[in-house]
Amino acid sequence: MKENILEKTDSLVKERGRGREYWRSLDDLADTPEFKEFLEREFPQGAAEFSDPISRRGFLSIMGASVALAGLSSCRRPVQKILPYVTVPDDLTIGNPEHYATNMPFGLGALGVVVESHEGRPTKIEGNKLHSSTQGRSNIFMQASILDLYDPDRSRAVRGPGGESAWEDFVRFWVSARNGYRDTKGDGLAVICESFRSPTLARLKAEFLKTFPKAKWVTYEPISDERIYDGIELATGDALQPIYSFENAEVILSLESDFLMTEGESIRNSGGFASARRVENENGSMNRLYVVESSYSTTGTMADHRIRLRSSDVHSFTTALAHELIDQGVNIPSAKSAPRTTAGFDSAWLAAVASDLKKAGAKSLVIAGRRQAPETHALVVAINAALKNTNSTVSYVSLTDSSRSDLGAFGELVSDMNNGQIKTLFILGGNPVYNAPVDFDFESALENVSNSVHLSSHNDETSKLCSWHVPRAHYLESWGDVRSYDGSLGICQPLIEPLFGGKSDTEMFSLLATGDSKSGYDVVRDTIKNEVGSIGFENNWRRILHDGLYDGSAYSSTTPSINHSRISAALKKSSAGSTSAAANNLEVVFVSSNTLDGRLANNGWLQELPDSLTKLTWDNAAVISYQTAQELGLKNGDMARLSLGDRELEMPVWIGPGQADYTVMLALGYGRKDIGRVADGVGFDTYKLRSSSAPYFESGASLSKTGESYPLSSSQDHGAMEGRALLLEKTLDEYRQNPHFASEMTETPPLNSLWTEHEYSDKYQWGMAIDLNSCTGCNACVIACQSENNVPIVGKEQVAKGREMHWIRIDRYFSGDVENPQVSHQPVACQHCEMAPCEQVCPVNATMHDKEGLNVMVYNRCIGTRYCSNNCPYKVRRFNYFNLTKDTPEVVKMAMNPEVTVRSRGVMEKCTYCIQRITKAKSTAKLEERDVRDSDFETACQQSCPADAIVFGNIADPNSKVSKVKARNLNYSMLAEFNTRPRTTYQARLKNPNPKLPLTAAAG
Amino acid sequence: MTIKTLGDVKIPPVDEILVVGATYSSITESVSSITEAKPTRNWYLVFCMAASVMLLLFSLIGYLFWEGIGIWGNNNPVAWGWPIVNFVFWVGIGHAGTLISAILFLFRQRWRTSINRSAEAMTIFAVICALMFPTIHVGRVWVIYWTLPIPNQMGLWPNFRSPLLWDVFAVSTYFIVSLMFWYVGMIPDLATLRDRAKKRLRKIIFGVLSLGWRGGAKQWKHYELSYLILAGIATPLVLSVHSVVSFDFAVAQLPGWHTTIFPPYFVAGAIFSGFAMVMTLLIIARKVLGLKHLVTIRHLENMNKIILTTSMMVGYAYACEFFIAWYSGNDYESFAFLNRAFGPYAWAYWIMISCNVVVPQIFWSKKLRTSVPVMFVASLLINVGMWFERFVIVVSSLANDFLPSSWGYFRPTIFDLGILFGSFGLFLTMFLLFAKFLPIVAMSEVKGVLPEANPHHPSGHSPHRESVGSITG
Repeated sequence: MKENILEKTDSLVKERGRGREYWRSLDDLADTPEFKEFLEREFPQGAAEFSDPISRRGFLSIMGASVALAGLSSCRRPVQKILPYVTVPDDLTIGNPEHYATNMPFGLGALGVVVESHEGRPTKIEGNKLHSSTQGRSNIFMQASILDLYDPDRSRAVRGPGGESAWEDFVRFWVSARNGYRDTKGDGLAVICESFRSPTLARLKAEFLKTFPKAKWVTYEPISDERIYDGIELATGDALQPIYSFENAEVILSLESDFLMTEGESIRNSGGFASARRVENENGSMNRLYVVESSYSTTGTMADHRIRLRSSDVHSFTTALAHELIDQGVNIPSAKSAPRTTAGFDSAWLAAVASDLKKAGAKSLVIAGRRQAPETHALVVAINAALKNTNSTVSYVSLTDSSRSDLGAFGELVSDMNNGQIKTLFILGGNPVYNAPVDFDFESALENVSNSVHLSSHNDETSKLCSWHVPRAHYLESWGDVRSYDGSLGICQPLIEPLFGGKSDTEMFSLLATGDSKSGYDVVRDTIKNEVGSIGFENNWRRILHDGLYDGSAYSSTTPSINHSRISAALKKSSAGSTSAAANNLEVVFVSSNTLDGRLANNGWLQELPDSLTKLTWDNAAVISYQTAQELGLKNGDMARLSLGDRELEMPVWIGPGQADYTVMLALGYGRKDIGRVADGVGFDTYKLRSSSAPYFESGASLSKTGESYPLSSSQDHGAMEGRALLLEKTLDEYRQNPHFASEMTETPPLNSLWTEHEYSDKYQWGMAIDLNSCTGCNACVIACQSENNVPIVGKEQVAKGREMHWIRIDRYFSGDVENPQVSHQPVACQHCEMAPCEQVCPVNATMHDKEGLNVMVYNRCIGTRYCSNNCPYKVRRFNYFNLTKDTPEVVKMAMNPEVTVRSRGVMEKCTYCIQRITKAKSTAKLEERDVRDSDFETACQQSCPADAIVFGNIADPNSKVSKVKARNLNYSMLAEFNTRPRTTYQARLKNPNPKLPLTAAAG
Repeated sequence: MTIKTLGDVKIPPVDEILVVGATYSSITESVSSITEAKPTRNWYLVFCMAASVMLLLFSLIGYLFWEGIGIWGNNNPVAWGWPIVNFVFWVGIGHAGTLISAILFLFRQRWRTSINRSAEAMTIFAVICALMFPTIHVGRVWVIYWTLPIPNQMGLWPNFRSPLLWDVFAVSTYFIVSLMFWYVGMIPDLATLRDRAKKRLRKIIFGVLSLGWRGGAKQWKHYELSYLILAGIATPLVLSVHSVVSFDFAVAQLPGWHTTIFPPYFVAGAIFSGFAMVMTLLIIARKVLGLKHLVTIRHLENMNKIILTTSMMVGYAYACEFFIAWYSGNDYESFAFLNRAFGPYAWAYWIMISCNVVVPQIFWSKKLRTSVPVMFVASLLINVGMWFERFVIVVSSLANDFLPSSWGYFRPTIFDLGILFGSFGLFLTMFLLFAKFLPIVAMSEVKGVLPEANPHHPSGHSPHRESVGSITG
């Protein structure tokens, strides 16, 4: 199976190198065996004459026919050869995809995934239901990682000091160098790696350091949770892994923590949070979320109360909160002598939050974000302990087999490099030339290193300056092992041989540690054998591979003892007050983006994914508040010079409602150069402003208008709902007073139809319910749909023209205060109206209904009048203005789902409710002589949603999950008055504000 | 109806001003000589310019077919952009021709005679331009024939509920009937050209085209009857075509489109724009081709009166839309109209109002409505205004519809501009060819309004109209 794929990719690589093959003349084409065979078949008598030289007349007529036919065949679609397996692998039925469990290493943890593979070609990634990190759900990075596998710009060969080289050369280089270093105990040898949590890698790292005790080993991540672990270590004496149980939390205070999207176990957190927030009827209860943050995060959009606070003030907010809790009788010894300031925030607000937290007792949770200082985190640990949250809403497990990012150690290494102490440097993953703090000047430090080796997926900024570059294998190409957040052991198994000859981390680490080039498989088996014991190992191994994790290997939680005096000492030391902010003293905040820290910048899906808040695509901008923009005379798209100390960067400005005044949010991970066709020239490199002393936020910046402007592509220009009842939202109290507000707000006069209506009497009637109360706007559904349905990307200019192709989009509405508005998300895909306006206007019947209520789009019949789009009140139809897949590289085509048509130029497309999955479920059910059940399948968006906001199923069955959700009194149809009768309905959003605090305006 | 009854109809007293100082022979001479003389340098110059613009159009269409319609500014939500604006614009222009010919013929408005031929030609060419737009605007032009009800083995039919399909039928019917009406009306004149032809090729071509016309009484009888019938068919079509075109919008449920006033409003607008276009062309033609004695100020003034009337009908429709938007209490509807007047497309809306409602008011003054420079400028402005009317309807309604999240803004591209510009090249090229090679004025009919043709005229001795269409002048 694998050999075949290899051959295919080999030939693809060759083909790419050579360029497309054109046939030069008609003779070329007429000469092919296919053509001759065709002639033989079609003109058996003529063909005999063809080979008979005497019949000149016949010869000429056949020649005429063949040339004519050759011309004809050139008008047809190019013929592609599909080669059958010589030996079909076991358990494989051609056309039926297989599913494999594996793990996606993600920072200091791992996400359990299940990968769909079509004839050896992985095409889709889903969460692993058996794995608690995902519980079958996913996020954008997981969904988009399939495209990274097929990134045509990944590096394809080892490069040595003398140019193109081979793995064997590299092995020889290291083996000879290694002997020298063994004698010096590794003096002059250094390794920079990315953070990981893997028994194998940890074992190999230890082995390496044992062999080379004088060698330096540094872990560096540009965006890491380093400060969180430092804080926990400060508080408990041990860097423990916190595990949050949002499902148990009734009152949550987030101190700039984006736990629903970019921080920690966001998939798991979203699930827990949504389950405590979802309300089934007016008697239900829901959690309450307070958020304090400088820039709007996805978590912030879910807040019942949110205040804008500069990141530098969050620490004093936390100490003030601790003092307030102490005043209210909560015992937090560590905070007693901490300096207390109340500047910059409303103390009444603080008091209300504190009393709410106290009231919730062990069902409260305070969580601080990764940008905050270690002492803030230490204090938060103490607060949670004082509120008795430990082991209720937060628990701690030990963080074994990990390598944590350490900025200080990285700085030391850089100075060693500058001093010429480092002779040989291995950079295993990461891209420090691009993303190291500017004051490190890593680029010039690297010049002092005589031998540098970079293991990297792309020939990137760092690779170009290193003497060796080794292509890095994707996790779907590698053997490896991981521990996830709770310590569960899992194996990464490859789904495909490395497409471009990449080497896995396991193989590289192993070579470094042992000097032997061993296969990753053997190395990982060795580790697992140590972990699970050799008795019954083979069974266990296969079990772990099958399940994706070693069941029962999760750690049990420890109850840490809190060292209050150490926290207290740290708090006294910490500089509480910050300089007063003003338009000439701005605070910049560095946040991660859709590209993560830039490593995913060559992923087109992620680049085109609208940011949850700004809805910007293909760019990052300096996000400032409305007031700050007014004072500085800036507007959206103005270029501005951002100066911070001696650092300067020109970039466009975007006004972000809800941004704290005098702060500038800068997304990291853009402005990459010479990486690949997608990443190049997208956005602005904000790392250029980032220093090691203040890597997450820094004051003293100024913005000045340059007078130029820059086109930014936003997928949604208008944020106000204009008072229309589109996204319904009320407070929990209002809901309890009037449980039927949703139906009342969408009440219509009796609706009659002009013509006979469809009957929809089949036993399956498909419908979808979207719970707006759970949706966090995390975008996972958008990428999942893109991956499942082969949705093309269109590029920045086309997005600016409103031609993005996403079948599902997240509408984001602002309401209330201009400066600190409330944000609501509404996922919108084709609503599958029973009385669809699109169907009535199509002149060629290209869009129509099936008996199961699906509004189907017949691509073959569509002539592209776009009338359907005009008449669609939800504007969910997407038109192929160009041949969007024309330039798709061959290797990217491997990421396509073979069960979904790739649409041609000039046709309309839209959400199909994943009709391919419905059809498959129906045929499976038919074979098993039963009806389709809820558990048989999920649509791609539903499957990905970490908050379980989307439910799909048979609405004709009153017992199906979707019917039950639709039966809730929160259920409503958007634009019901048009009698479109959509099959997708929404459940109104609820807010649970604290009655003691002023109500934030509700949308709708 | 027969000629006899035609003769019985009381012919209104012929106003001398209709045709100035012309005789049968001078009419034949002045019209026929245009087609017989070698084209002038000026004609060549203008033709070359028009043809180059037409070639530009064809190359842009070629590029369009090659690349896809993404080269235009169309987007989501504005899925219909300039091509549909241009379509409605050209269909509208294509109205005056048949209206002038058929309706005025039926109402015995004899002043139409000197302008009806060129007006009909304008109709044909405008409808050709119009038909081009929906054709090239579809995503997959190579399967455009699927809109036609062609029986096929799969039993697939078009969707008869779709207004676009009605459009296909309405516009193509209108085109065919207009073409027949134009051609049939031209037969006696073609025969005149045939008879005057000196060269063999000319003889053959006009011989074939004139279908053996001899000017016999029987032929005149058939001719008059068929012309009358065609006029009868064409008249309701004038009203129906633009009504059906308006259904494209009125049947959709988009605020700003979904209004019952559209059919009459569109017809009025079409007549309005059609007259303005005829005016523009006639003013040029009578000057360049020296037809001032045939196309008199009297003609132009009458047309200006119609322009003024239709302008006020259109203005009424604009006001009525606003009233209904307010009166209906429908939020989407009232937003759509406020957005038109004060939203991002306000500039287009006020161009439309100024050109279509304000400018024509000058024609209340007799002095202004008889001043050729004034009416020329006014007719140009009305053409601009009517184009903007369609732009406002199509684009502003689509750009801001139900869900504010999908709102967008339409920006035309160089290709939008090029293709609109090119369509004028196509139109002008066809018109120039017509003006050079076919009788631009209906000779036989103009002769009919000469004083001599009136049996009651002191100098008139022709009891029968057929003598008017004599074989030679």
